[in-house]
Amino acid sequence: MQLGREVLDQQAIDAGGRQMGKVDGIVLELRGDQARVAALVVGGTTLLWRLHAGLAAWAERRLGGEGAPTRIPWRQVVKIGIDVKLDVEAERTPAFRWERWVRDHVIGRIPGA
Amino acid sequence: MSKLLEIALGIVTGIGGFLETGSLATSAQAGAGFGFQLIWAIALGVICIAFLVEMAGRLAAVSHHTLPDAMRERFGIRFFLAPLVAVGLVSFLVLAAEIGGVALALQFASGVSYRVWALPAAAAVWLLLWKGTFGVVEKGASLLGLVTIAFVVGAVRLHAPLADVVAGLLPTAPEHDPARYWFTAVSIIGASVSPYLFYFYSAGAVEDEWDEGYLGVNRATAALGMTFGGGIAVAVLACAAMVLHVRGIQVDRYEQIPLLLSTPLGRAGFWLFVASLGVACFGAGLEIALQLAYLVAQGFGWRWGENLRPREAARFTLVYTLALPLAALVSVAGMDPLKLTVISMALTALSLPVTVVPLLVLMNDPLYLGEHTNGWISNAAVLAVSVIACIVALVAIPLQLMGS
Repeated sequence: MQLGREVLDQQAIDAGGRQMGKVDGIVLELRGDQARVAALVVGGTTLLWRLHAGLAAWAERRLGGEGAPTRIPWRQVVKIGIDVKLDVEAERTPAFRWERWVRDHVIGRIPGA
Repeated sequence: MSKLLEIALGIVTGIGGFLETGSLATSAQAGAGFGFQLIWAIALGVICIAFLVEMAGRLAAVSHHTLPDAMRERFGIRFFLAPLVAVGLVSFLVLAAEIGGVALALQFASGVSYRVWALPAAAAVWLLLWKGTFGVVEKGASLLGLVTIAFVVGAVRLHAPLADVVAGLLPTAPEHDPARYWFTAVSIIGASVSPYLFYFYSAGAVEDEWDEGYLGVNRATAALGMTFGGGIAVAVLACAAMVLHVRGIQVDRYEQIPLLLSTPLGRAGFWLFVASLGVACFGAGLEIALQLAYLVAQGFGWRWGENLRPREAARFTLVYTLALPLAALVSVAGMDPLKLTVISMALTALSLPVTVVPLLVLMNDPLYLGEHTNGWISNAAVLAVSVIACIVALVAIPLQLMGS
């Protein structure tokens, strides 16, 4: 499998079929001279690290724990196809932190939401 | 639904959805300034947008990816940022111009300034997006847009000579005002090849769950819908040539454009113009606001979908909820609707390579398209139009700005 092409930047889908972000990063684990995928990373400041290290470090200091990404262990990756299907509940992960915040504090307060 | 009905609906969408403030203003300026001479620019724009819409639909039907989705995946976040920012900025400007158009239609109808109407107009667009489903937004807007057929009636009543219309299809060098001629030409191309059209179309094809069985419908819809739609823009140009060009009137204020219909159709013509402007800009505003939300949500993998309740896709909803009032503020601040429109269209033309080339790369990738990758004609046509439009815009925009 080509990780860069088939996994990185793919749409991540949770157990309920909801879009929960993109696969923003991949965690590799080195064992001797072999590397294996330990986890996929969704959200947080991961994207910023790929764009600009200085900016990412600054954001991490500002946000503290709020900027922590969601790590999904490789064994919870169900299927890799058009999307990457994950065996997690998006609602319960930090990847949905902003979605929840916007829903509870902004959109959810408008009548008819 | 039968395939023929789908195609018919696609043509209606093309006719009702083509005209918006951009093609209306630029076609009127072209006809007033240069008679029938610039029809070729509309034709070139129509060919280019038909190819692009077909590609976006084919990408969605074969790969089940929307455009931002596929771009982010194929190019990674770094290279995706360029089209994201370019399409985002251009779409925002065009959205501001459309809201200005709705507000101006309300000014024509009420006598109260467009600056007062801009926020209520944006609020009305927002309310429809908040309450409506994708079908309501897409089909409702284009059905109402059929009122723009009034321009064809106008052109016929004015006895626009068919020979001149056909002759205008052939590009010719200007006899006077070359800077304004080329500036108008690229603005027309920018108005026709608005990126929101094919980005919106790709999201729509995914919302409607297209598969490879739709490829034929997609091709027919793109070709016929855009051709008929372009016909309305040609009719606007013809009306302007017959009403304004012969009298030597240049369009430098939007207030002159109702003459296009009030001259051949009288009082009813004036109201048909107001309805055309209002409805066409309202419909385009709906689509652009929605497309901005699609663009950001699909680029970052957020939950999206106009058929979901707002709270089920909170960040997606937030994008259009913020974009609409911000876009209205441009008009509230007093930016002239005609200037805003024409500048947005020229900038659209300038940004075409950034918005279009990533799509071309995707369309030639068998990983996404399998055996349905682009042929050389569509590649060459789209690449040529977007690169030439960009170069001409690069030269014409500074010249125009210096001149005015």
